[in-house]
Amino acid sequence: MDTTTSSRAIPQKSLADHFEDWLPKLVISPTFLAAIFFVYGYIIWTAWLSLTKSRMLPKYDIEGFFQYGKLWTNDRWLVALTNLGIYGTLFIGICLGIGLLIAILLDQRIRAEGALRTIYLYPMALSFIVTGTAWKWILNPGLGLEKLVREMGFENFTFGWLTDSDMAIYTVVIAGVWQSAGFVIALFLSGLRGVDDSIIKAAQVDGASLPRIYWSIIIPSLRPVFFSTLMILGHIAIKSFDLIMALTGGGPGYATDVPATFMYTYTFTRNQIGFGSASAMVMLGGVLAIVIPYLYSELRKPR
Amino acid sequence: MTNNKNYQKTLFTFTGWFVSLLLFFPIFWMIHTSFKTELDAFSMPPSFFFFDATLENYGIVQERSNYFHFSMNSVILSFGSTFLGLLIAIPAALAMAFRPSKRTRGTLLWILSTKMMPPVGVLVPLYLIFRDFKLLDTRIGLTLVLMMINLPIIVWMLYTYFKEVPHPLLEAARLDGANLWQEIRHVLVPITFGGIASTFLLSVIFAWNEAFWTLNLTASDAAPLTAFIASYSSPEGLFWAKLSAASTMAVAPILMFGWFSQRQLVQGMTFGAVK
Repeated sequence: MDTTTSSRAIPQKSLADHFEDWLPKLVISPTFLAAIFFVYGYIIWTAWLSLTKSRMLPKYDIEGFFQYGKLWTNDRWLVALTNLGIYGTLFIGICLGIGLLIAILLDQRIRAEGALRTIYLYPMALSFIVTGTAWKWILNPGLGLEKLVREMGFENFTFGWLTDSDMAIYTVVIAGVWQSAGFVIALFLSGLRGVDDSIIKAAQVDGASLPRIYWSIIIPSLRPVFFSTLMILGHIAIKSFDLIMALTGGGPGYATDVPATFMYTYTFTRNQIGFGSASAMVMLGGVLAIVIPYLYSELRKPR
Repeated sequence: MTNNKNYQKTLFTFTGWFVSLLLFFPIFWMIHTSFKTELDAFSMPPSFFFFDATLENYGIVQERSNYFHFSMNSVILSFGSTFLGLLIAIPAALAMAFRPSKRTRGTLLWILSTKMMPPVGVLVPLYLIFRDFKLLDTRIGLTLVLMMINLPIIVWMLYTYFKEVPHPLLEAARLDGANLWQEIRHVLVPITFGGIASTFLLSVIFAWNEAFWTLNLTASDAAPLTAFIASYSSPEGLFWAKLSAASTMAVAPILMFGWFSQRQLVQGMTFGAVK
């Protein structure tokens, strides 16, 4: 049965051909398996742990959903969820607003645009740890902005958000917006550049005003950019751990806890692995609620 | 009319620069403060130009916590994980770009979807494994994790670059009798070199900035610069000039890298949605 050397009317696949067929699958599989196992496999593991009474050491006897029940009676968890809600909404909303506005301004072909764009992107290239540390100083009532304004003669100026447990979460919003707004500007700018000039010219010929062109033609055509920006900002917001750790450390008290820092505190400083895992699973559920529709729409999109 | 337009343009330019000033100010302030003495750093109103520039903060920082140890770790971790990632990702991206099947798009999206998962979901098992295999606070362990973290982005970016290589070009090379290796060496690499370089740069920046994993999985031996800054961030904030010096040293390489890779930065952070 030597198919490679015998001459037949229909040529059989040679060993090399078979190899060529398998090669792509072979080289893709490490990445695919790594990504899938590393993330989804471990998520299943976390889910398992969340059903156990694991404390400092993992236990694998399933005890049911009691950890989840405990979660919803935990005041700190509810604070963390509320904070994520406040932070996420404001952070995304302000970034989108500023991003679109500045991008439209920059789209008027101003001078030295390239240099500006790089400066806008810089904050995003920095680690959130650096951002958090820098803003911690700027917002510190005794050292930064407040002191500066007071020295300028406004003796009664107070800006103590960082140490005010009701307002501290808004300082996280400020630092987060500072870090990401420039990036959103760059995103929208490249989206604006992709808008077909001929449509705009046609509208101008028809006598449409510039604001009207933006409102009815350009902004609607930015829909895909809006969508991907929303996704990116959403997942930055949910993942925000380093920024909060560096800026407020979750404090004062636990006033600026978010689910990620909550999970960290309970799992590693309080050694409640099962409880921490449960909180991680709830977070995951939230992310999946965003990601699944996105993946679904992407998969259905014909190419 | 022309006058009005000019006026408008100046106004827009001014706004643009004003915003950039706002955005750049904290970075500038940090670098600026790092050259002051602790005393000058607190003097109000802040002295912009008239202060005695000093390098003593840098010396103190190095003395107190061995900056070079941390920066060495940052270099090893970010470059190591990037090389490793490219080694695995290049063949995979090549295969997906040049031998696409019905499932290629799905595979790619699955790989990318992992990037969107919050890392806390995988933290506990990974921590347990690291603890059992004595990988906590080791460079090898952290390099592997950072590689895994960036792999989806690396594959995706490489794929988008490879996909743009015109197929007729490769066919022409093959018709001229080039074998697979020659094809890669003389056609593919020259065309995609820029893409691979940008991917490399981006992956290094991401790994450099990674803080979640470095804070959770290291203590001192393998701790990179992000952990170094975190350790300097004292709650009293009394060492602002030193903290600034530490932060400046930690971000300086990235500021330089960032200048050369602005486009790639956007592209990578948007999963290639924006070019």
